[in-house]
Amino acid sequence: MIGERTLTLLGARAIAVTREVGGIALMTGQVLRALLPPRLDGRELVRNLHRMGNRSLPIVALTAFFAGGLMVVQSAPFVKRLGATSLAGWAAGYAVLREIGPILIGLMFSGRVGANNTAELGTMTVTEQLDGLRALAIDPIRYLIVPRVLAMLIMLTALTIIGDLVALVGAAVVAYLVLDIDWRTMYFSFADNLTPHDFFHGVYKSVAFGAAIALTSCYFGVTVKGGAVGVGRAVNAAVVAAAVSIMLLDFFITYATA
Amino acid sequence: MIELVDVGVELGGATLLRGVSLAVPAGARLGVIGPAAAGKSVLVKVMAGLIPPTTGRLIIDGTDVTGWSEEKLAPVRARIGMLFQNYALYDFLDVAGNVGFPLAQRGLAADAIGPRVLERLRAVGLAGSEFKQPSQLSGGMKKRAGIARATIAAPELVLYDEPTAGLDPVTTSKVYDLLRADHDASGATAVAVSSDVAGLVTFVTDVVFVYRGQLAYQGPAATLADAPDPLVRQFVSGALDGPLEA
Repeated sequence: MIGERTLTLLGARAIAVTREVGGIALMTGQVLRALLPPRLDGRELVRNLHRMGNRSLPIVALTAFFAGGLMVVQSAPFVKRLGATSLAGWAAGYAVLREIGPILIGLMFSGRVGANNTAELGTMTVTEQLDGLRALAIDPIRYLIVPRVLAMLIMLTALTIIGDLVALVGAAVVAYLVLDIDWRTMYFSFADNLTPHDFFHGVYKSVAFGAAIALTSCYFGVTVKGGAVGVGRAVNAAVVAAAVSIMLLDFFITYATA
Repeated sequence: MIELVDVGVELGGATLLRGVSLAVPAGARLGVIGPAAAGKSVLVKVMAGLIPPTTGRLIIDGTDVTGWSEEKLAPVRARIGMLFQNYALYDFLDVAGNVGFPLAQRGLAADAIGPRVLERLRAVGLAGSEFKQPSQLSGGMKKRAGIARATIAAPELVLYDEPTAGLDPVTTSKVYDLLRADHDASGATAVAVSSDVAGLVTFVTDVVFVYRGQLAYQGPAATLADAPDPLVRQFVSGALDGPLEA
């Protein structure tokens, strides 16, 4: 029997989650409205593209390289047992392009860029910098949020494409070192068995993940309450919300396109 | 210039202001005092249009702007400068960028902004700090950079939220000297929130006392110590015994 206290807690949590989902939906509407017509600060966009994208490249490349290699290591016992070396590239490539690449890079991006974005916006909120913009008749959504959302969308997509390529190289390197499969075999295994649809399937996902990370990280940043402790809570909430969103979106996109 | 009529503010289920009626004529210098969390900062944010009144009306230059959208309020806000309690200096800009920001947003060319920024920084005693980041400034320097930003566009109304909070007595005196000189020269209307009553009364001509979201006193700064309300007298004197709750 569920107690009254448990029900009350569940109800309060449900209301809190609904309020947050509603807030994110409202912010999505404000961002879309600010893009019609697209008037945004070009310097802010370029600044965000650089710090969110360029500076994430090394860690994304490193993650992608080993993710690709890992796919080969996992499939190595079966490849050896069955002698199916011509399928090693396909197995790694299929998993990387459609699932592992977008998800791992999305989670990495959320931890590095999304968390940083929430902390930055949260600090700006508690130090009244957003009110400072409004006092100068500057819309914080148009000036701060829209460039960040666009930068995250563009850069996560670009990083996923780059990461996919690095992961395939990683798979080929590990296949050569662990399974003694030469480069030509891996290349033809990729080229003959993977289709553009496999590649674009991952790219679509990265666009959706980028939107989820951008909107959740911005929302939790601008709604911070309670000073430095509140900023910490907001970062935590943003990372959790982005991770949950990534998994849910991945499931529904995969299911809808299966 | 600015008038609040029976203004009430409720946020998150809490009543922050209630029944506040106040008129600030053009060129006046009004001080806002009161205990912590009494509603002083909320009051100036209502005046700036940053917090919409839940009840009552906000009238600026005879125009009722209550309920106006952010877009519609933009030209009104362009006539207002504000110094925030937490400085609100933008982390992504250096000192010169922060001070010149209101002019840049008005579309002025960089070569027109530069000399005005240097002039303002000299006026607030921050010459040579233009390329520093806000994080490299002390509390007093941040306040002065905030004052420079609030006044660079020559606004008709300047709102100062705790212009001297956390500053040492000498820096406090310097800040009030600066505000007096600025307003003597510009003639702009000023509303200053402060817990430092002694310093504040050297700058303002009239004072309101905010207590539990209501105006408990309105009158001249010169006779504040002799105010009929014992709340005000206790607050001004700093006495431990009296009707003010700790």
